[in-house]
Amino acid sequence: MINMSAEISSRTQNQSRLAFGLALAHLAEIDPLITAISADSVDLMGLADFIERFPERFVDVGIAEQNAMGIASGLATTGMRPFVCGYAPFISARSMEQLRNDVAYANQRVVIGAAASGVSLGVSGGTHHALEDLALMRAFPNITAIVPADARQSWAAVFQTQNIDGPVYIRLGGRIPEDPVSNTEAGFQIGKAECLHKGNDITIIACGCLVSPAINAAQHLSKKGIGARVLNMHTIKPLDRESVLTAASETKGIVTAEEHRITGGLGSAVAELLSVENPTPMRIIGMPDEFAVVGPTPKVREGYGLTSANIVNCCKEILNY
Amino acid sequence: MSANASDRKTLLTMLEKESITIRRNIWRALRSAGSGHVGGSTSAADLLAALYFYHLNIRPKEPNWKNRDRFVLSKGHANAALAAVLAQAGFFSEELLDDFYGYKSLMGMHPDIKLAGVEMSTGGLGHGLSIGVGMALGQRMQNINANTVVMLGDGELQEGSNWEAAMAASQLKLRNLSAIIDYNKIQQSGNVNEIMNLEPLLGKWSSFGWAVRELNGHNMVEIVEALDAIPYASDKPSLMLAHTIKGKGVSFTEGTHLWHQNAIDEDSYQKAMSELGQPS
Repeated sequence: MINMSAEISSRTQNQSRLAFGLALAHLAEIDPLITAISADSVDLMGLADFIERFPERFVDVGIAEQNAMGIASGLATTGMRPFVCGYAPFISARSMEQLRNDVAYANQRVVIGAAASGVSLGVSGGTHHALEDLALMRAFPNITAIVPADARQSWAAVFQTQNIDGPVYIRLGGRIPEDPVSNTEAGFQIGKAECLHKGNDITIIACGCLVSPAINAAQHLSKKGIGARVLNMHTIKPLDRESVLTAASETKGIVTAEEHRITGGLGSAVAELLSVENPTPMRIIGMPDEFAVVGPTPKVREGYGLTSANIVNCCKEILNY
Repeated sequence: MSANASDRKTLLTMLEKESITIRRNIWRALRSAGSGHVGGSTSAADLLAALYFYHLNIRPKEPNWKNRDRFVLSKGHANAALAAVLAQAGFFSEELLDDFYGYKSLMGMHPDIKLAGVEMSTGGLGHGLSIGVGMALGQRMQNINANTVVMLGDGELQEGSNWEAAMAASQLKLRNLSAIIDYNKIQQSGNVNEIMNLEPLLGKWSSFGWAVRELNGHNMVEIVEALDAIPYASDKPSLMLAHTIKGKGVSFTEGTHLWHQNAIDEDSYQKAMSELGQPS
């Protein structure tokens, strides 16, 4: 893997969506089969480098997500390695049948880069929020679903898709910078949770933009004498069962945190596993079963309790602290 | 008769025989299934015979050959016809047709990419043309001198996704992509033009940037000529609008939506086989 140089680091503006596009241009240099399919998402996904260097391997289908997904499937059958780039709310929902039939059912090596996920387009309202995409991906067999926590991990994820023989969904953030959660790409291995804070009292399992608040929560708890383990569960599917089961047996409970509806997301996945294998006290932090309100993204997140403070409270609740 | 004319006649006779065998095999498969899409399978039989026994550059014993032409049956419910022609072409044994709809069979109602010769799992309508655009593009990007053909149903053109794909094929100047519309004018619940009219259909494709041609999809001379003429323009995808008859070949299935999908009993099977006759 190419190391993320200081130059690249500065160019991603700490945004996973831009790291995706930059990494893709580097990957295309190594692999002549890499192709980028954009659904009018060039700026969103930082594809300028790719287009400049590999114009013959770039296609913009316009505002036509269904077509983007179908074309990607067809390309993959010929041996090309298509990366479909689009807005999470549209590339997951508008093209859902193409994704299910042409990509997942036919089990093609298509990578989907879904930017502006969650409530990152907060003021745009419910039409532009993507809060059910992980539930969809989890429900379709064959798909690997990844939520990089920061730009560096997005970069690493792009490269690591080379090792996956099937479709991959990479959920990316919007135009708000994401706090870097680690200094190297080494900790990021698809399918393997990354422990970012050690502790044996309670476990916080988070993904995406909730990883940074989870670390803050653990640091806060540690000052109170509570050891909180933080697992960055960047791969939602297949779930790292071993890390979850170990955490359940070594700590007193689990708090999950995600920018996704509670229905069918990370917390759901963890609960499905633990309820059968090792019933464990849990709290699930995520979006409720309603369409989120309109508002600036930080306010919307805060309003629904996607905060370090709420994670701390949930941990304390489980520990009767 | 010149040698060429004689060759042509031999070719046409062979293709017509294969057509009859495809129709017989459709009935054979669907009898084993107990029911199925007779109408849209038999309307496509002549076109499929010409594709698989004349037009497509394929190697049935080497189904994943990199330089092959690719065919996508977008109207996946006509899988009995595809399975029949793939078996006849030698991708697998014709005996597999007797396991149609069987438990864990690769011969379901719709094509399964896991079966040799099937290029894509289809069945959800309005998917095939985008997939074909991707295949033709992939061939071009890798400098593979091969073509992609997509067969579309008429009813499925009511799905808007087709027109996204039609725009893209034209924008990308995919001269190695062609689409054939099996225009039998009847969909599940009735006549296409009464449910959601497609006309003027040829004009629609033309205005979307395709080079178009109209033909009788049961006249082998016209089919072969239309296939020979592909690509119809040097920088455009080609569209064959093939007028066909739903349920073609058997009197009681022709021209009615009741045989779009229907149960098949022994009596109707025997009557159908008797009307189709043996290829001579």
